[in-house]
Amino acid sequence: MKNTHFLKMMKVLLLLVTALFLSTAPSQALDLAAVEAQWTPPGAVSPVRMWGFVEDPGGCPAAPVAWGTGPLQVGTAGGSLSITLRNCLSEPVSLVIPGQMTTLNPQVIVDSQGRTRVSAFTNEAPAAGGTATYTWNNLQTGTFLYQSGSHPAKQHQMGLYGALTVGSYPGVTNELTLLFSEIDPALHGPLSPTAATPLTYKPKYFLINGQSYAPGEPVPVIATGPRTTTLLVRFLNAGLMSHTPVLQGPYMSVVAEDGNPYPYPREQYSVMLAAGKTMDALWQPLKNGTYALYDRSLSLSSDGAAGGGMLVQLAVDVPPPFNWSLFLPTIIGAGIPAVP
Amino acid sequence: MKKRPIRSEITVAAFGALFLTLVTVSAGAAIDGITGPAFNLSVGTGHISTPDGGSVLIWGYADGAGLAQYPGPTLIVNQGEVVTVTLTNNLTVAGAGPPPNVSMVFPGQQVVVAPADPGVAGGITSEAAPGSTVTYEFTATNAGTYTYYSGTDSALRVEMGLTGVIIVRPAAGVDRAYSHPDSQFDREYLFFLSEMDPRIHQEVEFNGPAGVATTDYLANYFPLLWFINGRNAPDVMSPAGVSWLPHQPYNCVPRMHPGEKLLLRVVGGGRDLHPFHHHGSHSRIIARDGRLLESISGAGPDLSHEVFTIQSHPGGTVDAIFEWTGKGLNWDIYGGTDVAMPHTCNGKAVGVAQDLGAPDFDPITHEYCPDHGKPFPVSLPAGPNMAFGGFYGGSPYLGTLGSLPPGEGGMNPNGGFGYMWHSHTEKEMTNYDIFPGGMMTMMIIEAPGVLIP
Repeated sequence: MKNTHFLKMMKVLLLLVTALFLSTAPSQALDLAAVEAQWTPPGAVSPVRMWGFVEDPGGCPAAPVAWGTGPLQVGTAGGSLSITLRNCLSEPVSLVIPGQMTTLNPQVIVDSQGRTRVSAFTNEAPAAGGTATYTWNNLQTGTFLYQSGSHPAKQHQMGLYGALTVGSYPGVTNELTLLFSEIDPALHGPLSPTAATPLTYKPKYFLINGQSYAPGEPVPVIATGPRTTTLLVRFLNAGLMSHTPVLQGPYMSVVAEDGNPYPYPREQYSVMLAAGKTMDALWQPLKNGTYALYDRSLSLSSDGAAGGGMLVQLAVDVPPPFNWSLFLPTIIGAGIPAVP
Repeated sequence: MKKRPIRSEITVAAFGALFLTLVTVSAGAAIDGITGPAFNLSVGTGHISTPDGGSVLIWGYADGAGLAQYPGPTLIVNQGEVVTVTLTNNLTVAGAGPPPNVSMVFPGQQVVVAPADPGVAGGITSEAAPGSTVTYEFTATNAGTYTYYSGTDSALRVEMGLTGVIIVRPAAGVDRAYSHPDSQFDREYLFFLSEMDPRIHQEVEFNGPAGVATTDYLANYFPLLWFINGRNAPDVMSPAGVSWLPHQPYNCVPRMHPGEKLLLRVVGGGRDLHPFHHHGSHSRIIARDGRLLESISGAGPDLSHEVFTIQSHPGGTVDAIFEWTGKGLNWDIYGGTDVAMPHTCNGKAVGVAQDLGAPDFDPITHEYCPDHGKPFPVSLPAGPNMAFGGFYGGSPYLGTLGSLPPGEGGMNPNGGFGYMWHSHTEKEMTNYDIFPGGMMTMMIIEAPGVLIP
C-alpha cells in the first residue's frame, strides 16, 4: 500500500514537473461543479431535470440551477489544463476529454455475478460534495468535448458536457463554438435519473449551445463579430445522434476533425457531425447579414412540433438588437437594411 | 455437361450485334430533369405508389402547373447561367386554418430574391404565401451536384416530399462533372436517397400539418419506406415517366459497358444517413457538396479516394466515378477455353500469345487480355440442380444467353452482368418490412454491342 501511495505521489510530482516545463502559457481552466439543474424547454411550463457542469461556486447550490452546457474551457496549445471538479450529485462523477492525453485510472465495480466491470474511465469525485482534480498536459490544438467519464450512458445525456478549445489556426482572429446536443425528457424525471439509460433514448429537444428554437419563438441569434476577419466555427456533437449542420448559402473550409488537422481544407456547406465528433471550419463571410445554420438531419422540431430545434442565425457585422427578420433580406443578399 | 448447344448460337447473335454496332456511344445525359435557366415551379399534393401496395400523400414541387412529384424536378443548368426559380404555392391541406407558406433553399448557392417578387419573410428564406409566388435568383457559379428543399418547417416539409436536385454542367462539356478533365464520364446516373415514415403522411392526410404536432412522430422518427430517385425497388427499375407512377417520374437503372466511366451523383435527400453500397467495383469519390476534392483550385481531384460504400449525409452531395472491367476476375468474361466462342483480345485468338507491350485491354470489347481464354472457375451444375434468378440469362459470360427452364430469367435480355446497388443499412432494402425492395436497384454491365440509351 505504501509503495502504491509513493508511486502515486511520484506520478503527481512528475505531472507537476512536466506541467511546469510544458506550460508555455497559462490556460484559462475553470474549476467545475457537477450540479442538479433544470432546463425549461421553450414554450413549456415544467422544467426538465438535468445534471450540469457549472463554474465551481465554491460549494454545492441549495437548489437546482438553470442548466446550460458546461462553461467553455480554453487551453493553450502545448500547455496544460488543470480542473478541480466538485461533485454535488448523488453519484460519483469524473471528467474526461477524448483527444487529450492524460493518465487515466479506471474505476471498477464487481457486479452481482462476480465480474469486474469498469464503472468510470478515471478517478471520480465522490458523491455529495467530494472533489477530484484532473490535469492534461501538452494540450493538442483543436476542439474537444469534456464530459463525465462515469456511467457515460446515463451521465452524458443527463447534461454533463462542455467544450474545450485549444489554440487556433493561422489568420483566424474570431471564433464561434457551436455545441449540438439533445434531451429526452422521458429519461430525466424527478425519480428516474438512476434508471436513465439510453436504451429507449428518443430525444424531443434539439439544442445548439444549450438553446432550442421553438415554433413561434424568435430564432436564437449568435453574433459572429466583424466580417473582415476569418471566422473559426467549431462544431461539437455532445448528443447521441448524428447531426448535419448546414450553413445556408456560403461554403466553409473544414480544416480539422477530432482535433486532427486535415492535410488540405475541404470546401463544404454541410458537415457530417457524428456523436462525439468535433469539426473545425473556417468561414470568410462575403456579406454582412444573418445566415441560417441548422441541422439538415432535420432535428428541426421541438416536442414533436415542426419549426424548431437546431436552428440559429449567425449575425455577421450586425449590431444588436438582433431581430433576424429585419436582416432576412441580407441572408438572401438583396441589400443590407438600415439598422434601427 | 458444361456446354449447352443452344449457347453458341446466341453468342454469335450477341456478338454479331456487337460488331455491327461498333460506334462510339456519346455521353448521354441519362439524368432526367428539366433545363433552365428560368424555372416555374409550383407546390401541390399527390399520392405516390409504393410496391407494397401503399399510396402515400406527398407535398411535391411540380414543373409549372404539372403534377407534384417526388423528388421535385431535377433542375439542370449550365455553369455561369443566372438561374431564376419562380415558386407558386398551390398547396392545399386538411384540417383547420389556411395552407402553409412554401419555400426553397439552395445550399451552396448565393441566392437573392427578385425585387419584383420578394414573397414574404420566413425563418430561413423568403416564402410564397398561399396562392402567391416568390422568385429566387442565383448565378450557377460552380459546376457540380447540388440539392434544394423546403426552407420552411423543413422537418415536416422535406419528409412530405419537398426536396430535389440541381445539376450544374460545366462549360467544359456535358461529359464532365466539373471543368477538370479528371471528372470526365461516359454515363451519369442520379442516386437521390430518401426515406419516409408513413405515419406522418397519414396524419397530414387526415388532420393536416397541425395534426403532426400532436404526435411525437418527428422526434420519434421511424421510416418504413426507402427510395432512390423517389421510387422503391422494384419500381425504381421501371422506365422513367411510366403512366402508373405519375408522381414518381424518375427511375434508376444504371447500365454501362466494360471500361466505361460512370458518374454517380449521390444526394442525401431525406433526414437519415444512407451509406450507399455499390457492388462490382470500387468508386472514386471526386467531389462533395459540389466541390472537387482538390488540394488547390485547379489541381483536379487529387484528394479523391476509393470506396465501396459512399457515405452520403442529409443535404450533402457526393460525386463518384465508377469503373468496371473484368480485370481481377481471373477468367475470360467472354468465355474461356471451356466454351467454343470465337473472340479475340487485341486481335489474338484464345491460345495465341499477346504481342510484347500489347495494351492490357482490348480496344473494342475491353476484355482484360491477360485473362484471355481463362476458363470460368466454376463447373455449373446441370439445369435441374440449379436455382435461377430473374437476372440470370443462362450463361456466366457477358453478352451471352443460355437455355433456361420455362418461366426463368427474362430480366436480362442482353446477357449482362447484374450487380445489386443498395443501401448498406440493409434494413432499408425493404418496403414496409417486405424484402427485397426499398433503396435498391440493379446495375447492369452490358456487352459492348448493346445499345444503352
